Amino acid sequence: MTAISIGAARFGQMRHALGPAAIFAGLLALVALAVPEFLGGGGPSIIAQQATPILLVALGQCVVLQIGSIDLSNAATGLFCAILSALTLGPLGVASPLLCLAVVTLIGVGNGLVLVYTQIPSFALTLGTLGVMQAASLVVTGSNVVYVMDNMDVVAWLFAVQVWTLPVAFYIAVLLAVALWAFLRFTASGQGLSAIGYNERAAALSGQPVRALKVLAFGLSGFFAGLAGLCVISISGAASSIGLGSDLLVPSIAAALVGGTAITGGLCNPVNVVFGAMFVALIPVGSAAVGVDPQAQSIVYGGVLVVAVAATMSRSRNAIVK
Amino acid sequence: MTTLTGTGGATTKRGAATKWRGGLAEVVILLGLVAVFSILNPTHFPTLTNLATILNTASIPVILGVGASAVVLTGRIDLSVEGVMGAAGMTFVLLSANSRETADIGWLAWPAALAVGAALGALTGAIHVLAKVPSFIVSLGIWYVGLGIAAVLFGYEMIPFLTNESAVAWPTATLAGIPNSFLLALCVAALGVLIERMTRLGRAAYAIGNNEAVARMTGIPVSTFVVILFAFAGACSGLAGVVGSLALGAGAANVGVGMLFLTLAAIVIGGTPLGGGRGGTLRTVTGVLILSTLYNGLILAGVDPSIQSGVSGLVLVAAVVAAGWSQRERLRVFK
Repeated sequence: MTAISIGAARFGQMRHALGPAAIFAGLLALVALAVPEFLGGGGPSIIAQQATPILLVALGQCVVLQIGSIDLSNAATGLFCAILSALTLGPLGVASPLLCLAVVTLIGVGNGLVLVYTQIPSFALTLGTLGVMQAASLVVTGSNVVYVMDNMDVVAWLFAVQVWTLPVAFYIAVLLAVALWAFLRFTASGQGLSAIGYNERAAALSGQPVRALKVLAFGLSGFFAGLAGLCVISISGAASSIGLGSDLLVPSIAAALVGGTAITGGLCNPVNVVFGAMFVALIPVGSAAVGVDPQAQSIVYGGVLVVAVAATMSRSRNAIVK
Repeated sequence: MTTLTGTGGATTKRGAATKWRGGLAEVVILLGLVAVFSILNPTHFPTLTNLATILNTASIPVILGVGASAVVLTGRIDLSVEGVMGAAGMTFVLLSANSRETADIGWLAWPAALAVGAALGALTGAIHVLAKVPSFIVSLGIWYVGLGIAAVLFGYEMIPFLTNESAVAWPTATLAGIPNSFLLALCVAALGVLIERMTRLGRAAYAIGNNEAVARMTGIPVSTFVVILFAFAGACSGLAGVVGSLALGAGAANVGVGMLFLTLAAIVIGGTPLGGGRGGTLRTVTGVLILSTLYNGLILAGVDPSIQSGVSGLVLVAAVVAAGWSQRERLRVFK
């Protein structure tokens, strides 16, 4: 699809290695200059808390982007996980998060299986799944807020316990990002995912289990989204179809893209997605610091998304983009 | 309904034959649904009041669908409809007689809202064409930009209610049993058909969707036309935002919530594949009527209304699968 010369790839790698951290540092410096008390107060902790669910959804998304597909349903799946665990934490206790994670991973796998079997475009399939998940959330909650009744301490520690002023869930998410990086970099399956992103037909012809790997990518997307859902429950102790976590889709895609993930596939560094997620979480603070109305946040999100894709997309002059 | 059969695009014999049968199939599905629900619910479903209800709920998706299917014909997609509806709807409300008394420019509020929609659509198209970013990503971003504009316009004050009661009652008022909103939607659909069949722009849309490389080589200004079609789609979304705001009687950023699934599902189920090149406006109108009838029948049968987006989602996937089933191939690249 896109021919990338070796030189361009090298330059791309350099930009990918340092770009996201630099972008985040730039915004942080801006915020620190405009609002000096931000860094001293609870600022970093709040940013880490807001960045964690975004990061987890973005990690799942970047695996799917790695194969050149997209998952528009994973944020809604994550919210569904939050709702499920709010309903089941009381009766099931420790088993509830595991059960919920299993359910949403299976939803992701289901996405993948339908995708490889029917060969329809991933954005159309996952848009359909998004609708189904939204309806499922509404039906399961009866359009109300579901509060965790009992056993809140099973998940509460994720954000209640703080290490060096940051919630422990943030460290876990960062460790997962490193683990995902190692998986993509050092395992045969991980390299296979990259190969699909670079050139799917070549990957298939060289014996990569393309279909199994695609299912794996969507399964991981569901799994990470589920973790984000557990974070939502840990933070708020309640879940609803329009509450906290219902608005993660565009921020998480933006985080993955600011983190240097190419929408065309094959280029993704989960460690940099950490910076992407922190950048996105800092946007509200940053835009308020430069005098943007908080109501205008989604304009900034949307703009960042488009600019991030435009800046990171590899494209050849004559390619047809649809 | 025989007009549904011609779509003015493909020229091959096989294409013409399948097109005809395809157009008929959707009408048969629609009539089948009407028959089934009439038998299941003879007291409430087959009444003139319920017909007006169905047509009224169908009017916004039809208006959206006319614009969105023009974009889909070229193989692009516009995911921004809900955001553009919000931005244009808020513009309309704040420029009409409202409880906040912001401004009242009378009927000029309509073209103003349409202009906001068209501008957002043109922006989507221009970014897509100039920066070569896939249209689904640009329009996803513009969706949020539109919602943001609507939120900024909404601000922190009280909900702006429309104070002109005759204007608020206009969409649901009926003319010969048909609600005004649906008559407006039919006018938009007629405009869409006119563009598709009678203009170079419309015929080029089919050519671009069929084979973009060839369309470029034959001298069609693909980029310009794509931007114009996105602007047209934006204007349609803007109009839908106005009608939605009139129906609410107030300004709300989320006036378009749930409309995206409905519109896309209607386009695909109507017979316009997401790859473009075939189908068109009248197909989409049938698709919307099928879905509106389905929801109406389900809700009258006592099904939870909140499953609506789920049904749209499933119908969307099923329709995309059915449309692409014959193209499956072992080594096919699909993203």
